[in-house]
Amino acid sequence: MLAAQPARAIPPFARQTGLACEACHTMPPELTAFGRRFKLSGYTLTTRPPLVNDIDDHKKDTLWLTDLPGIAVLAQMGYDHYDRAPPDTGQPYPAHAQSDTLQFPDQFSLVYAGAVSDKVGAWLQLTYNGQAGSVGIDNIDIRYSDHTSDNKWVWGVTANNYLTFQDVWNGIGSYTVPNFNTVTLSSGGVGGTGTSGPILNALGPGSVAGIGAYAFYNDSLYFELSAYHSAVAGGNSPTIDSVSLAANGGAVDRFAPYARIAYERDWGYHSAEIGASALYVNWIPSVGYISRQQQAAASLAGNTYTPGQTFNPGAINRYTDLSVDWQYQYNGQYNIFSFLGHVTHERQQNSDQLVAASFTGASSPIYTNPTDTLTQFLVTGEYFRNRRYGGLVSFTRTTGTYDPLANGGNGSPANQYETFELDYVPWLNVRFILQYDAYQVVANNQSPFNLSNANFPNSPGFPNVKASDNNTWVVGLWMDF
Amino acid sequence: MRKLAVTSLGMAAIALGTIAIAALAVRDAHSATLIVPPDPSTKGTQALVNSACSKCHGQYGVSISPLFPILAGQLPGYIEAELKLFRLRGRSDPRGRAFMWGIARGLTDEQIKGVAQYFSSQPAVKGSGTSNPALAGKGKAMYENGAPDRDIEACTVCHGHSGEGVNTQPRLAGQHRDYVSTEMFLYRNGLRENKVMQHVTEKMTDDEIAAVVDYVSTL
Repeated sequence: MLAAQPARAIPPFARQTGLACEACHTMPPELTAFGRRFKLSGYTLTTRPPLVNDIDDHKKDTLWLTDLPGIAVLAQMGYDHYDRAPPDTGQPYPAHAQSDTLQFPDQFSLVYAGAVSDKVGAWLQLTYNGQAGSVGIDNIDIRYSDHTSDNKWVWGVTANNYLTFQDVWNGIGSYTVPNFNTVTLSSGGVGGTGTSGPILNALGPGSVAGIGAYAFYNDSLYFELSAYHSAVAGGNSPTIDSVSLAANGGAVDRFAPYARIAYERDWGYHSAEIGASALYVNWIPSVGYISRQQQAAASLAGNTYTPGQTFNPGAINRYTDLSVDWQYQYNGQYNIFSFLGHVTHERQQNSDQLVAASFTGASSPIYTNPTDTLTQFLVTGEYFRNRRYGGLVSFTRTTGTYDPLANGGNGSPANQYETFELDYVPWLNVRFILQYDAYQVVANNQSPFNLSNANFPNSPGFPNVKASDNNTWVVGLWMDF
Repeated sequence: MRKLAVTSLGMAAIALGTIAIAALAVRDAHSATLIVPPDPSTKGTQALVNSACSKCHGQYGVSISPLFPILAGQLPGYIEAELKLFRLRGRSDPRGRAFMWGIARGLTDEQIKGVAQYFSSQPAVKGSGTSNPALAGKGKAMYENGAPDRDIEACTVCHGHSGEGVNTQPRLAGQHRDYVSTEMFLYRNGLRENKVMQHVTEKMTDDEIAAVVDYVSTL
């Protein structure tokens, strides 16, 4: 799966609206009250007359094209220095890798964004991901929006490929602050999958697409109902089967419903939001599983099955994610302060076919527990002075049930880390970042250097592994134009 | 045959020329007369208020954030004058650039008039009041009398006795306290251009500005 990439303030919106970044962003990607309304209105606000315009007999628009195509370049570079050099992936200890990595670019995106007609707008992003070394479809959000004549109700429809990309608050989802992340050992860049999180954060570009309807009442009360279906990119089979499952780590079965409610109150320089969301997913995991039925059928026909998940008979895990999120913003004359975060509780009911106690397959069981839970807590405080100097402190903690079969190691999915960031923004579209990520716990309560990590087959003997081995200095540059 | 061809060519040239001139004339006349919605320059007042103004200044001109001035009850002459200044990029305070240069760039004179009428006819609000009557008292004296010994004119001359404004001089009554304060310092630093206001604020001390701002918040 192509990792979902962060998206930020983009110049096409500024060109289309004639408004500087600060109209919509406190500090990108975090939105101001105005930015939220702009997004909910389908990115359609413009102060430019169209270049091409056509109408029908009722003076209704049939074509409306702007004189400026809303194209932007987003570029992100990163230099990472790890506190400890990772083990060599091909040679045994004491061989080890370089302790730093330069991502140039870490991410490079082309974005089209802006009004398509007076009521339709789009965000279409194509990204080169330095880590994956490939170009792929990134975030897509296409919106239709309208409002009542008294402006009390703004409502719309969004079609997007990233659950939570459509959200307009930043305490949860794809636009959560901190937003600048390069290759960290624990997030899977060089090493393992040390920072597990709820499935809510994982249904991104290349794996799903969904459609949702929303309404925003009186600039305060927001409702949304969406449904997501698997939309796997790059599969060479016409529909999803065992090959695309394996390639993408699993797939959503049928539709995953998602509901969101939020309440915002603005006063003076302040804006506060509290929200909740619920997601239910039937998920077909890509796991090394062969059912007895498959094996029997295959042996009758003289074939053999490779361990792997299939649709039929398919094992399905059921996820229920419940979240509460909040955001407080002070958007003053000179000072900007934000305090935001979320708590997500996930309940994962594992398919009976895959759980050790009720395992019916011909291969090995995948999960220890019939039901696993995961709770993620994220809180971030961010401060900027004059939109030029600033920084943030963020704390993430994930805890959950011990499931040694699913998670390996001691079975814990827990992780805990802090991000400290200093920012210098000489121009609003150029940002220098100095970040330090400090890990106390990573998955399995071990570091990615752990003995069972498939990425480091030669790591046995690598001494004294600990979570803080992952601590990383990041020097980053982000720019868009 | 040849003559006919020449005539045809001549006719075509004249026709093309006419079209070109007509096109130029129409363009100069004002694009607004030809283009249909959603060209922003053809939006009616209410549509403009809904889609643009209200997002920062509130549907009825009472903005929530002091980053944006309250427009309810503001004098139409002042709103008109400022919008035209923004359109010309003749007012270049930082927020004016960031927000209003873009918003005002395509507005027609009719739209500006319409918006000015709309906001000026909304019911005005009362100021937030003071928690420091002594300070407000000091500000009141300054507001009403100025400081003739230092060549500081009284605010009343342009803004009226109760801050109601005069012609193109803005109403101050009911305005966000922080907004008034910010603008005073912008005038003083020359970031918002106005000779009279720069002259006045340059001569005032920080304390005097604070006192006047405090008094204005009681109007």
